[in-house]
Amino acid sequence: MLSARTRTATVMAFRNQRRHPLVPILLVLVPAFIVLWSVAITQSTPHRLELPGGVWVTTTMKELHGPEMAKFTVAFVAALVGVFVMRSALAGDRRLVVAGFRARETMLARVFVLVAATLVVVAVSAMVTAVEFTPTSWPPVLAALVLIGLIYGAIGALAGALLDKLAATYLILFLVLADLSVVQTPMFHPTPSRFAALLPGYGPTRLMLAGAFGHTFTPTGALLIALAWAGGLWVAVYLVLRRRLGVKGAIGLPPDTLRGYLGKESQR
Amino acid sequence: MSGLVVVGGGFVREQLRAPLTLVLLVAIPAFFVLIFAGVLGEFSRALGGTLPVRSATAISAGWAAAFLSGTLAFFQVSSSRGADRRLAAAGLGAGRVALARIVAALLLGATVSAVAFTTLWLRSGIGHPLHAAVAILAFAAIYIGVGALLGAFVAGPLEGSLLVMLVFALDAFSGPQMTSSGGIGAFTPTLHAANLLIATGGGQGSPSGDWTSVAAVALGSLAVALAAFWFAARTRKA
Repeated sequence: MLSARTRTATVMAFRNQRRHPLVPILLVLVPAFIVLWSVAITQSTPHRLELPGGVWVTTTMKELHGPEMAKFTVAFVAALVGVFVMRSALAGDRRLVVAGFRARETMLARVFVLVAATLVVVAVSAMVTAVEFTPTSWPPVLAALVLIGLIYGAIGALAGALLDKLAATYLILFLVLADLSVVQTPMFHPTPSRFAALLPGYGPTRLMLAGAFGHTFTPTGALLIALAWAGGLWVAVYLVLRRRLGVKGAIGLPPDTLRGYLGKESQR
Repeated sequence: MSGLVVVGGGFVREQLRAPLTLVLLVAIPAFFVLIFAGVLGEFSRALGGTLPVRSATAISAGWAAAFLSGTLAFFQVSSSRGADRRLAAAGLGAGRVALARIVAALLLGATVSAVAFTTLWLRSGIGHPLHAAVAILAFAAIYIGVGALLGAFVAGPLEGSLLVMLVFALDAFSGPQMTSSGGIGAFTPTLHAANLLIATGGGQGSPSGDWTSVAAVALGSLAVALAAFWFAARTRKA
């Protein structure tokens, strides 16, 4: 159960997002456009690839491109949201901590915003992928998209907490392209490339391929790897933000007083 | 003039305050060219395009310069509004602030382009080095216009980054070299610069029509960027 302060911080964090009406529009528009357009212009060239468990399947570049671009878009958008939500947290939440909030309460509010944005992008990406492609099983595909969003959202949050916004944006671009668009993608590598297992996109990619094209096996290993990455990165986010937000000598105002103050602040 | 150079230099330093930014400004174009060189030709064929490997390598240099310059220009406009207005009000004037901003944007864009060009040259050789250098710089100039224009109207960094990404994806995926479907590919801003790069990648020169078009689009984009920088820096009446 959430404490009153966490609920207040969460309401305020979402209210803060309401002041940026273009963000939800773009959270829908960017994945919808990128996935639909990239699939629309791809040819149905036959393509063989290896699934987890050593099973080989033959599909087409067109079928493969939808889930691949969904994964790329979810990762990129979640990472950018992570960068800027956490930069926003660093700018404002120290004052809440001074006023008596615990660092983890303010962080939880920002995490809710990031997870909500990730779920919107995952939902849109999955819906537009479904226009041209029906996977063998949706749950692993959806789980892979959520996990890649959580993993890259955490990477973005770390980058936003530790780096300048331009450096963080460039780093996100660099990581997403290197990991998902070059090393992991089965469009270029029918089997995982040499260093693929070392990067965060490995687990979700294998899980997604198993769900999209597999029939006879359970990709438990891929799921565990993805969960381990997501868990490890979010622990890192917690530790970094707790350190960055932590202040001594908090005064501890009651939630009602804070809610009244923050409500006035957010209307300015 | 010297004041303009001082302020322009200050704007460059402002963007490079974080050392990692400079590292990434060098690493990402090199990465784009080196890593995408081997896969963009195959990717193009999957999309129904006919891009040969050397031309794909060349175009990756242009895209690297484009995305980095566009993002940089967006952040220059969106995050420096307040400071630029104060500079303009303090006597520099919105026009000179805008000029200094565009000098800084071009310097950083030229740095990114130079890294992309050098990597391209070392990676696969270039038949017409001057043509390639101009084309890569044109990609950067065009996206300075795109980023600055978005920055003039969109203040939020998340919204702006997503919009730069959206324009970039539309541009990159719609180029006639990447797809056989045509359509809006004929109207993308980097179409003619891409034609120049693809020709140089194939060891060929380009017709004068492509040069004229590239010059017009690049100069037009810089004019748009200048207007956007001016718009952001101008003093509002109370």
